[in-house]
Amino acid sequence: MKVSVNLEINGRPAIFEVDPEERLVDTLRYKAGLTGTKEGCGVGECGACSVLLDGRLVSSCLVLTASVDGCRITTVEGLAGKEGLSDLQQAFIEEGAVQCGYCTPGMLLAAQALLERWKRPTVEQIRQGISGNLCRCTGYKKIISAVRKTARRRAEKK
Amino acid sequence: MPPRSKEELRREAAAKVTGVLVYPSDLQQEEMLWVEVVRAAHPHALIKSIDTSAAEKIPGVVRVLTHRDVPGLNAFGIQLQDQPVLCYDRVRYMGDAVALVGAESRQAARRGAELVRVEYEVLQPLCDPEAAMLPEAVKLHPGGNILHQGHFTKGDVEEGFARSAVIVEDTYQVPMMDHAYLETEAGMAYWEDDVLVVDACGQYIYRDQTQVARALGLPLEKIRVRAPYSGGAFGGKDEITVQIHLALMAYHTRRPCKMVATRPESIISHTKRHPAKMHFKTGASRSGKLLAHQVRIVSDTGAYASLGGPVLNLMIEHAGGPYLIPNVKIDAYAVYTNNGFSGAFRGFGCTQVCVAMESQMDRLAEALGMDPMEIRLKNVLHQGDLAPLGYPMKLKVGIEQTLKSARRGKLWRERRRIKNQLDHHSPSLRPYIKRGVGVAAQMQGLGLGVGIPDYAEVALRLLPGPRLELMASTNEIGQGAYTSYALMLARRTGLAPEQIELKVGDTKLAPDSGTTTASRTTYAVGNALLLALDRLEERLGQLVAEKLSLAAPVRLRLQGGRLMGESLQIELAQIVDDQGVEAKATFHLPVQDIELGDGLPHLLYSYGTHVVLVEVNTLTGEITVPAVEAHLDGGKVIFRQGFEGQSEGGIAQGLGYALFEEVKLNEGRFLTTNFDTYIIPSVMDVPYDMRTRPVEVKEGSGPFGAKGISETCTVGVAPAVLNALADALGVRFTRLPVRAEDVLKSLGEKGR
Repeated sequence: MKVSVNLEINGRPAIFEVDPEERLVDTLRYKAGLTGTKEGCGVGECGACSVLLDGRLVSSCLVLTASVDGCRITTVEGLAGKEGLSDLQQAFIEEGAVQCGYCTPGMLLAAQALLERWKRPTVEQIRQGISGNLCRCTGYKKIISAVRKTARRRAEKK
Repeated sequence: MPPRSKEELRREAAAKVTGVLVYPSDLQQEEMLWVEVVRAAHPHALIKSIDTSAAEKIPGVVRVLTHRDVPGLNAFGIQLQDQPVLCYDRVRYMGDAVALVGAESRQAARRGAELVRVEYEVLQPLCDPEAAMLPEAVKLHPGGNILHQGHFTKGDVEEGFARSAVIVEDTYQVPMMDHAYLETEAGMAYWEDDVLVVDACGQYIYRDQTQVARALGLPLEKIRVRAPYSGGAFGGKDEITVQIHLALMAYHTRRPCKMVATRPESIISHTKRHPAKMHFKTGASRSGKLLAHQVRIVSDTGAYASLGGPVLNLMIEHAGGPYLIPNVKIDAYAVYTNNGFSGAFRGFGCTQVCVAMESQMDRLAEALGMDPMEIRLKNVLHQGDLAPLGYPMKLKVGIEQTLKSARRGKLWRERRRIKNQLDHHSPSLRPYIKRGVGVAAQMQGLGLGVGIPDYAEVALRLLPGPRLELMASTNEIGQGAYTSYALMLARRTGLAPEQIELKVGDTKLAPDSGTTTASRTTYAVGNALLLALDRLEERLGQLVAEKLSLAAPVRLRLQGGRLMGESLQIELAQIVDDQGVEAKATFHLPVQDIELGDGLPHLLYSYGTHVVLVEVNTLTGEITVPAVEAHLDGGKVIFRQGFEGQSEGGIAQGLGYALFEEVKLNEGRFLTTNFDTYIIPSVMDVPYDMRTRPVEVKEGSGPFGAKGISETCTVGVAPAVLNALADALGVRFTRLPVRAEDVLKSLGEKGR
């Protein structure tokens, strides 16, 4: 039995025929061709597969595609605009928050979500916001710095 | 810090933040098969029969392969080929591969793998390395269970102990540790004309090519190995992981084949950091001079050799730390067991022995009433001194500078004040919070050491434009090496980094630049590319002479888009056509002129001193680390942001080793197979207050004075944590990781 699922991925409508047990991470990676979303553990512990589901941060390895019919999904591929990289992506590059880069897509989405919640987050709030995303390379410091920089720049713009 | 110029940022960062960079696990092709591995059902068993018939009947299953389908050598291993590609008579650990299933979908491959029926005669697993060493133990390999042993004596330790005013002695135990790179082992193999291409995570593609070719019985030129940017490695992708299995399935099916390990499969199957039991006895004079040092190490190498021998040799080499010790005796064993299998991991043996040695140094200081920093400074090696194993330290030794930098650092200088800084806790809790500051110093051999071929060959091609291409086979695994290569080329030529193109990580495009391990690539590839630039300029000088009909070649330097001679300047485009001008060079790493064992010793070392602040809640046992300082001598820094990033990540891994991480096994079966039970540090466990101080002792033989940093930045962290805990609690922990329950237990014992 297949289920028809309508999604809006990075602003574009998409329809998939999926098995009821198909995971969102697999739909994104293998059907939508959006391999920016990574898989690191398959049990919702590492956050590499983080995406935004109607603006909420979720581990896409724990989400069944058939259960999110009609939802809006943002993946790392949807972060850059027509005018180029987002301020957050830019700050990740400038601050050296990227090493092997495998956690980066999930980390960016977690950071994006926390910046929606707190406009000027403290270090502790940033930590809370990315606490579900593991990184084995950076020691997290430069990731926190990149989020702080983005928040500061956004505040300065206003 | 001054604003960084654009060229000092990571080259591939934009491709990583946008998600467009294709990692080995992202590779997909039309008509590809998914490959799943049937792994051992027992840690130690004889295989009686393998029946693939049920698996072959599953819809979508295309092919099931067993040992009968390995056309070449059914064995692999970096040093000793003792691990079967597909097991035939016996399995020796839970990760052993028995069969491969290739199918149209991953589900079908998994279903097929479940239905491969293997009949076993279960044997008692060998789990205690000490017992496995005994002559009556069942032999896991024909040569017995001692993979490698090293015995070293300098001077007379008994005489040294007799003269010692204090002697400290204990047994230290360190756990099996998983690399826990975020991207599991993955790749794809496919035919391109009559060449079998393997695109997979790896750390030495030329050796992978050899191992694949040998197993398939094909000539090297029929195998092309590429290693795309991969999601971390830390030594865990040095040994073969998916490459041979992928190639084998593609060889038989002629179709593209894809593998991605699940996290449990990754943890169970790949190499680990060697668990070790280390008995250390160290004696010093009343004034704190080290007099004698006796060490016995038993390292559990698990089921197969991989790099267990060289790792043991590095333990031997570094067991005396960066100190001058007149009398030394070391006996060390790497022993086969059925406990997974261990191999290369950032630090490569130094990590283990540093835990013991730096604990010993603090205990000596305590016994003598000395300052921990002073006792270290009193004993450190200087250039010209004899290392613990008796060979001379021929190059500059930066250990003293890193210690002095640490002594000047805020954490050490203000440690008394910082230890009493408890304002962030409620007044009622404060009496139960203890803070401590600990230090650890270490050195780490760079490169593969004497006796192991260690060279880097690179090629350059200069094109009009100007554009400079670098061909090197080493890999970008997150460490930032490619950015460093481009920065070195840019610095030497005046070209902008965007005028430099890297053709890397591909046996077809790039010559053999050696392993991406042992902190060596900046040093080795950097030296090779500078040599190649000299050759390129010589060649350009010849071409200019020919063009201008000069009698002798002109000495030229490439400066941006121009060639600059003493009395002439020429636009590149006048000399270089679209074919370009090429040059190659090979750099051989300098080595010691004595050889004490495989890769033993080194000539080049990086040095580091770590200072760690810990805070312990004595009611709950909870340990937090509010601040860490790293004072590192990796020579002159090439890529500052990469240097800091390595250091900060190295600190996080060191904290994991000290406080969280342990691959637990019960009778050879893994109990910790995912991040829910194998705990690596999250952002909540790592301080934001991490300071990295480069102590740039210029290395004369290094490119722009550089050495390497990727291991020395992590090795000292765990012992510094232990020393900080001892400072905080007055309790000495000798077993890693130290968890809340260990703290509570030890405080209870202390109270009694």
